[in-house]
Amino acid sequence: MGVAFVAHCLLNQNSKVGDGAHCAGIYAPVIDVLREKGWRIEQMPCPELAFTGLNRFWAVREQLDTAAYRRHCARLATAVADAIAVRVEQGEDVVLIGVQGSPSMGVTITSSDPERGGRPEWPDGSPELVSGEGIFIESLRQELASRGTGFPRVAGETHAIPGHDEAVQRADLEAVLDAPRPEGGRT
Amino acid sequence: MERDDRSFRVALVADGYVNPPPGGVDGIAAAAETGWGVLQLPAEDYPAGVAQRLLAEVAEQAEEFWRHGYDLVLVGQRDGLSEALAQVGLAVPAGIVPPGPAELVDFLSSRPNPAAAFPAGPESSPGPDVTADRR
Repeated sequence: MGVAFVAHCLLNQNSKVGDGAHCAGIYAPVIDVLREKGWRIEQMPCPELAFTGLNRFWAVREQLDTAAYRRHCARLATAVADAIAVRVEQGEDVVLIGVQGSPSMGVTITSSDPERGGRPEWPDGSPELVSGEGIFIESLRQELASRGTGFPRVAGETHAIPGHDEAVQRADLEAVLDAPRPEGGRT
Repeated sequence: MERDDRSFRVALVADGYVNPPPGGVDGIAAAAETGWGVLQLPAEDYPAGVAQRLLAEVAEQAEEFWRHGYDLVLVGQRDGLSEALAQVGLAVPAGIVPPGPAELVDFLSSRPNPAAAFPAGPESSPGPDVTADRR
């Protein structure tokens, strides 16, 4: 099959923002699919864990989008891109599994609200979900591009998305895993 | 902070137990069965420089869990881990090189409740039921 670089929290829900862990540790709905299909798993670092810590607030992109956080993400992206480069060089198919709606790990959906800040008073269900990538994923894309490495196919865990449906999440993941490799067989 | 479903237990797991060879010990299955999160250690085939950078990030994340009273253990071994942990002031945690899956499950199941699960002392909470739900 290939190598799936997965968001940290898919193997370790303890890294989630408070009140965000969906289970004790391993997020089986994604990890089980990868293993059933024979994909090797490699865990990426959680960008928010070491930077804003375990007691961080839920946040949107704008709140994390500081020069210091981007430098932190760039450092992590360099380490992950090094690892991806090794696998690509070995001829492996590579996919990236993120967390939809995350300000850092969203792969096609992130969260955004330019007005958010100060004393937390915003209501639950604020429409902060928007198309786009989280800050770390953006950094990783830039790092891979600077090396001339193509960006992997992506899928994401979808708990934060309204109407989350595990069957749909699985189908979307399988579609990405089963998709043909890019032309030339390289990521 | 509201209490969610996390276990407050994090195992640093060597790659050979995350991606076990045929007949190898399945660290993911054991972690799922016992309610542990996994912090994966870099694969053995990475060049030293690549592994060193990844280990530095592992250590930084382990430090954050340790600071907050999460239980940390080591499953397997990884060259360079002790040095990376030392850089953030951590010792190598209690660990096991499991001869089989039963020994790994026993090891993970027998750990004391983590301090983080009892923010106001052991009487404050029964702690998470780490075996009830894998998801």
